[in-house]
Amino acid sequence: MTEPILPAWSEPFVEGRRGALDRLRPIGVVDRQLAFGGSDGTGVTVAIIDSGVDGGHPAVGGRLVASVKVEPGDDGPQVVEDGERLDVVGHGTACAGIIHSLAPAASLVSVRVLGPDNRGKGAVFATGLEWAIEHGATVVNLSLSSRSEALMGAFHELADRAYFANVLLVCAANNVPGPSYPSLFASVVSVAAHDVADAWTWYYNPRPPVEFGARGVDVEVAWRDGGRIVATGNSFAAPHIAGLAALIRAKHPTASPFEVKAMLAATADR
Amino acid sequence: MTREEQLLRAIGLRAEAARRLEGSTAGAVLRSVVEATVALFDAEAASIALYDAATGRLVFEVAAGEQGQGVIGLSIAPDQGIAGYTFTTGQALAVSDVERDARFGRATAERTGYVPRSIVAVPLLDDHGTIGVLQVLDKRSAAAFSLRDVELAGVFARQASVAIRASRVERDTATLLATTLRGLADVGAAADADGADENAATIEDLVARATADLGRDDDSGLWRLADRVARLRDTDPASIDLLADLLDVLVARAERERAGRRGMAGGPGRFAAPDDDA
Repeated sequence: MTEPILPAWSEPFVEGRRGALDRLRPIGVVDRQLAFGGSDGTGVTVAIIDSGVDGGHPAVGGRLVASVKVEPGDDGPQVVEDGERLDVVGHGTACAGIIHSLAPAASLVSVRVLGPDNRGKGAVFATGLEWAIEHGATVVNLSLSSRSEALMGAFHELADRAYFANVLLVCAANNVPGPSYPSLFASVVSVAAHDVADAWTWYYNPRPPVEFGARGVDVEVAWRDGGRIVATGNSFAAPHIAGLAALIRAKHPTASPFEVKAMLAATADR
Repeated sequence: MTREEQLLRAIGLRAEAARRLEGSTAGAVLRSVVEATVALFDAEAASIALYDAATGRLVFEVAAGEQGQGVIGLSIAPDQGIAGYTFTTGQALAVSDVERDARFGRATAERTGYVPRSIVAVPLLDDHGTIGVLQVLDKRSAAAFSLRDVELAGVFARQASVAIRASRVERDTATLLATTLRGLADVGAAADADGADENAATIEDLVARATADLGRDDDSGLWRLADRVARLRDTDPASIDLLADLLDVLVARAERERAGRRGMAGGPGRFAAPDDDA
């Protein structure tokens, strides 16, 4: 009964700890102007794998171009059109709002993998991810991960497929110790929350698995039914990095996932 | 039934009776976890909801704090609200200013009689995935929960998960007996490795025969009695005294009857057979 308090993934990014993030920059100077100056995300599609997105919410700015949902079926999960375009929780809308606030011209696609029958079904989540990779998204925001050892292989294959298809996966780090897929794979961008109240502040942590810290504490976000709330969690940090990645991708359409990641690292605060 | 089986059954019966009278040890630990959570956070309420596979819903099992009691027994769809999101994604989440969205959690709030301003929800995890959610509502000293609060709530959630895991193993009397006996047998068979598997199979067989139907026999008068007494466990001292007085009357009557029967037939007395009218 005496489990130690394990360090949160956010620990390296909070005030008083950030000194440890200082390091020699391996790639000369890449500044933010070079990385995404003048970019608004035009031409980039960001998929949001979450609880759905309320496309009519003012925070989403009418940028939701498609909505699908994954339904568990007898022959495996099926991706179908999500005519209702609803967000069962508000979380996906929050993520969409954050991405839109940073990359206002990026197109948003909602892939709803949470629903009444989808409880913890890693296969549904994997199907949603596969669909996003194959349907033109070049940045995918994932606020959820699977802890299923049985699905590790499937997620590993999907993460590789995304990487080779030039799709950047941005994953919220799970706040609990232990395995979590795909958020702890090397090819994804794994994000935890820092405690600075600024969307344009982010940190790079040279000690993996969680490499990036972005705004995730007391963030005012869009929520269901047109509402807004103030929220804290790694899952609000990830869309900040997804938004920045969309800006970089718009300015450098041929950049590969590792080049986008390198630009994010090079332009991080220190 | 062999003598060993009879002994095992007797042990099993006692363990089952004790389990029923003590209630779930997990329940007690979960209650202490939410009580400690409320105290540490100085929160209005804390609660734990567990996934019930039979109904497919998240059921609030325990709660603490002035505003917490209304939620006990409430069940929600596993994808509903903050608790549902944390449950389905395994992501810890803190939200505040929830009242600013007037529609937020209205249905649930109406059922519990309390609308929180801020919530932190962390997942309860076992080796296979998320089994439930620990929620803390409204820290009195602050308008919102910090990242540190989310982490601390996670520590409490881990305690709760450990308690649940332990109780799920101990709850099964047959498993308990078989594990104990196998442990003893393994010590004896350590010198003879070939015998260990054989021993394990024999023990499981033996325990299975001895404890067949134990605990599932819910209509038996003995279990009905144990369950009723267990439900009185947390009642006030006056009710306990009343129960003791009632039992005294019944015991006296039973002794008189037994004395009468001994006088007539000399047979052994019966012990709480089903439908023995109290």
